[in-house]
Amino acid sequence: MIASEDSTRKPLPAPDADTTTFWRGLRQGKLLLQHCRRCRNVQYYQQATCRECGGDELEHRPATGRGKVHSFSVVHRAPGPAFKADIPYAVLLVELAEGPRMISTLTGSDSEDVTFDMEVELAFDQVSDEITLPRFRKV
Amino acid sequence: MSDTSLRGKVAVIGIGLSAVGKVPGRSPLSLAAEAARNALADAGVAKGEVDGVLSSHAFASPFHRFSVAFSEYFGIRPTFSNTLQVSGATAATMFSIGAAAIHGGLAKVVLLVAADSLMTGLTPDLALRSLTESRDQQFEMPFGIPVANTFAMTAHRHMREFGTTPEQLAEVAVVHRRHAARTPGAQQTAPITTADVLNSPMVTTPYHKLDCSLISDGGAAFVLTSAEHAKALGIGKPTYILGCGECYTHEHIFLMPSLTTTGAVESGRRAYAMAGYQPSDMDVAGIYDCFTGTVVMMLEDLGFCRKGEGGPFVADGQMSYGGQIPSNTHGGLLSFAHSGMPGALFHFHEVIAQLRGQCGQRQVESAELGLVHSLGAGFATNATTILGTEGTL
Repeated sequence: MIASEDSTRKPLPAPDADTTTFWRGLRQGKLLLQHCRRCRNVQYYQQATCRECGGDELEHRPATGRGKVHSFSVVHRAPGPAFKADIPYAVLLVELAEGPRMISTLTGSDSEDVTFDMEVELAFDQVSDEITLPRFRKV
Repeated sequence: MSDTSLRGKVAVIGIGLSAVGKVPGRSPLSLAAEAARNALADAGVAKGEVDGVLSSHAFASPFHRFSVAFSEYFGIRPTFSNTLQVSGATAATMFSIGAAAIHGGLAKVVLLVAADSLMTGLTPDLALRSLTESRDQQFEMPFGIPVANTFAMTAHRHMREFGTTPEQLAEVAVVHRRHAARTPGAQQTAPITTADVLNSPMVTTPYHKLDCSLISDGGAAFVLTSAEHAKALGIGKPTYILGCGECYTHEHIFLMPSLTTTGAVESGRRAYAMAGYQPSDMDVAGIYDCFTGTVVMMLEDLGFCRKGEGGPFVADGQMSYGGQIPSNTHGGLLSFAHSGMPGALFHFHEVIAQLRGQCGQRQVESAELGLVHSLGAGFATNATTILGTEGTL
């Protein structure tokens, strides 16, 4: 695959049938996780069926937004022109209080201060009318 | 061993490389054809004898059906062909699928061939962006996650859980550079120290520039046929495929079951079981080294040392000559070359050359059994191959 031409703009998610509810939730200040009524699995990212049991009895519930840093890596060489102005920035692999992990970036404090198991909470970053990205800040 | 087992059924009878490193002006097809010509000449087989072709995708080529475009370019009309894509693990799957096709009667002589020109055809910046942009558009890309970042997070967690140090990771790069210095055609041969690695620019913590593999042009090709046909052809030193195993655990890094124990445990277990050998039986190895920490984790997951001891194992010289498992004696992706999908084919080329006793000053004494492990996409894909000489059948 050849890289897209317009690499100076940050890529924005294009919600689809699986994820429209998820992105609407973020716009309304909620990080939605899918809870399986049949097997109790909690999943991130969103789709029509439970990845554990295959059932379709999934319910969206807002997460507490609290979690801790399972791992992280501070980016010093941007993956493209769009992210050059942001370096250095910390990419976080956050383990949410509900169990699932998700990937995002740190906001609101110095990337050099991130530590393993650091407590973080959701920060809603509205980047367009449609899209609010889930980022994390130090608690 | 059941009749359906691939163990020892198929032999590698020809190996070949194209020009490797910085090779300006050459398309992936041109590099692939050069490697294929060399592999067929090595086998003493005419191109008209090839009835199967397996390739991998090339970033710098417009042809999604690379194996089909290659066959036209090379002037052959195979009756079995495919272009495989499981990222870095593709190399090993070319061997297992090629062997299965021969054993299952789909083809008699299979050419495995891959090449890319990431360095001069695509440029390093575009190559990295192409890899970055082939990730999830909704849950990963908006956050600006470089290719190295997912691998970096696994290494970082490994440091946290087991006390692996930046110096131990750097030592992986130093060993590879020392190996490359003995390899004709290697892209980077100037000696480096752990201080050089630690002082090179930070890419994404904990990885410095010299913890990361190269970006290169080049390709490799191999000729496979059945053990019986290899005998009929009078091949001098066939190398047998003894074991294959794969494991795919996730796509997104946030769904990787453990950041420090990978699918290589299962792919390795399956390959060892098919081969009937253990890690301690291996004389030489080719271990996918996209980053320094990757090697540390793979030495553990493939059973060459215990979990968490990969750092001290490398620092103690165990992955080089005189150590427990001389690995990447050509210099690996870190110092020989990394042209994308063909990257791990260079490991296959080296391990097979070792088993044939053709490595000159790099030769590992009486190498009879070798393992190659290829992986990709933040450990999403893992594939292990065990190869041996006639005496190991």
